This record gives sequence, C-alpha cells and structure tokens, in this order.
Amino acid sequence: MVDVVLYESATGYALFDVAAGEDVGATLDSMQESIQSLAAFGKVVSLRAFLPFKSSEDALENANAVSEGVLHAELKEFLESNVDKGQVLGVSEDKLASAVAEACGLQCNKTRAVLELHRGIRQHFSRFIKELKEGDLDKAQLGLGHSYSRSKVKFNVNRADNMII
Amino acid sequence: ARGGVGAKVVIQKHRHEGVFIAKGKEDSLVTLNGVPGESVYGEKRIAVDNPETGEKKEYRVWNPFRSKLAAAIIGGVENTWMKAGSRVLYLGAASGTTVSHVSDIVGPTGAVYAVEFSHRSGRDLLNVAKKRPNIVPIIEDARHPHKYRMLVPMVDTIFADVAQPDQARIVSINAQHYLKNGGHFVISIKANCIDSTAPADLVFAQEVKKLQADGFKPAEQITLEPYERDHAVVVGAYRVASKKKATA
Repeated sequence: MVDVVLYESATGYALFDVAAGEDVGATLDSMQESIQSLAAFGKVVSLRAFLPFKSSEDALENANAVSEGVLHAELKEFLESNVDKGQVLGVSEDKLASAVAEACGLQCNKTRAVLELHRGIRQHFSRFIKELKEGDLDKAQLGLGHSYSRSKVKFNVNRADNMII
Repeated sequence: ARGGVGAKVVIQKHRHEGVFIAKGKEDSLVTLNGVPGESVYGEKRIAVDNPETGEKKEYRVWNPFRSKLAAAIIGGVENTWMKAGSRVLYLGAASGTTVSHVSDIVGPTGAVYAVEFSHRSGRDLLNVAKKRPNIVPIIEDARHPHKYRMLVPMVDTIFADVAQPDQARIVSINAQHYLKNGGHFVISIKANCIDSTAPADLVFAQEVKKLQADGFKPAEQITLEPYERDHAVVVGAYRVASKKKATA
C-alpha cells in the first residue's frame, strides 16, 4: 500500500495523496482506463503539496541530485514537513527511496504500482498544479534539458567520450 | 550548398504528414525546414516560391543512406506515428541529424525528447537543439530512464535506434515510464548488433517476441534494403486497450 507519492517534475517537487483502498494493481484494465481520463484519475490521487524550484539553477541542482538518487536538502525538508511519520511514501527509484528512508525515517515503497501511478501523474501533472499555466512545464523541461545536458558534457571535458560497455 | 538555384523543383506532399517529395531532376525526400536558411549537417536545401501567395518555403533533403527513418519511409512503411504536434521520445539521437528532420515534422507544437549517451555526439546534438526549440536534448544513458524523469512527459511515440544487444529491454523500460497507453513505437533493429552469428530474420523474430512479451503489439516490419544491410524497422502500438480501441 502507498499513502503518498513523490513526483519530481522540472518545475518542482510534488506530493500526491493516494485514495485509501485503491488497489493500484499494476496494469489492470480498470487502472489503465482511469489513468487515461483526468476525471477518473483525480479520484485516485490528489495533490497534497507542491514545492516549486526557485530558479533554473535551483532546478538543475535538484535534477542532478534526483538523477543520481541523492536526497537534496530541499527535498528532505519538503518531505519532513509534508509527510507524516508512519505513512508509506511511494518513490519511483531505488536509490532515492533508500536515501529517503534513511534520512527521514519514512517507509518507502518502490513497486510497479508506484510506476503506474507516476504514468498517470506524468500525463496530467500540469492540471493538478494551479500555479502552472499551459506550456509552463514544457518550457521548464526544455530549459532544464539544456542545462542538465550541458553540465553533463562539460563535466567530462577531458574525456574524449563515454564509451558504452 | 545553395539550394533552389535550379528552381524547377516541385514539392509534393508525401503520404506521411510533414514529409514531402521534391520532384526535380531526381526525386528526393525532404522536410519543411523549421529554421530557414540553415543546414544542420551540410544537407542540401531547396527553396520554393509559391506563385499564388508569393510565399517562400525552404525544404531540407533527407538522405535515406544517412537516416534509417528516411530509409523506412522510402521503403514504404505504413505509419511512422509522427506528425505536427506529436511528442516523440527519440532514443539514440546521435548528432541530431535525423532528430532535426523529426523536429521539422512535429513542428512548433510538437516536441522531440532526444536522448544520447555519447558526449561527443551529444555536443553536436546540443548545438542542433540550440536552434530548434522543439528539441529537448538529454545527454544520458537510455538504459536508465529514471535518470531523466524530470525532463520527459508522456509521449505519443518512441523512436529507437540504439543499436545495442539489449535494445528491446531499453525500449521497454522507456515505454513503461513515458509511452502513453495506445502510443506507438518505431524501432530500428540492426541484426549484427544483437547477434552477429544468427541469421538476420531469426534475430528480428526474436526481438519482436521480446517486445510482445512487454506489452508491445508489432503491426509491421520492413527491411531497409538497399540503404542498410540486415536492418529492420518494426512499428507497432503499446498497451492497446483490450476491448474498445483507444482514442487516437
């Protein structure tokens, strides 16, 4: 079971309440259909809290942490002030899940069900967040994509290439 | 490389939306240049005047020997599932040459999320993306889609040209994260990269089987002769609703 789901977006962190008794049993047809429409999916999850990034530098710093499975101080504080002890937090990735469990003392769930919930949130995200206008998320992803990728390439400036083994 | 000097070229719409055929001395596949006046990788440009409106349009030649997607289109693929407004997750973006044509096809209302791991190609990709605001460059390993989860929304189509032995798995985990229900995939499979000892047909069949096991419904498969050897492109749908058809 999952009580709350963490979702990391280019615009900020968000926490979603998961409706009690919702058996998010993976790829069942009913679940699949509910993800398709916002009206139905809005009954499965609802926004609990949203922490927008303060600047593009802030977003990049957090994106680098998220990508490496590191718990950023801002995320730690956000979780501590918005998730109650004893609640099960859905996190989409193992390393971050164990970092959260260790630092915040929260029980983390990283199952297929969380991935399915994330698909739904990813589809409808900007409509859950009132602060976001049409196109804001696209712009944030574009800007972050450039800065993230530039930093990757720059980071390894001495290496000719990263060979894929 | 100045295009349009001959000016005897006629542009025709291709069966695929956003793709055109330039009919001149020789026919060539072209896309409408999203950044008029600029070539991306030294490809020829063709300027065409519309005599009625006086409007000038510029197209870029798309070489099937350099792009598997172009080869598949010339080879008669039924559908590429890319059109104006589409969101495409492009795995194995390399230097962004084909990506730039996909960027032309999806236009300003669409977007291409271009993933490339090699830093050398990634630098070129970044430069292409700088001039084309519908390309989101992602220098990251497509084997770990969770690493770029802040950068990619749910997409309509995944195009994959990663030429890795575990390609089917790479496409599958990316689809799990980002391909919407009823979305589509277009995968280029190079038999040699997967198993250089088995006959190509057998390798293609095995890859198709792997995809089917992961919720993909392959609909068509073509080989890329004469442009590429032992290459196939497989196209199909993902997580198709079991009873009624998903709305497009």
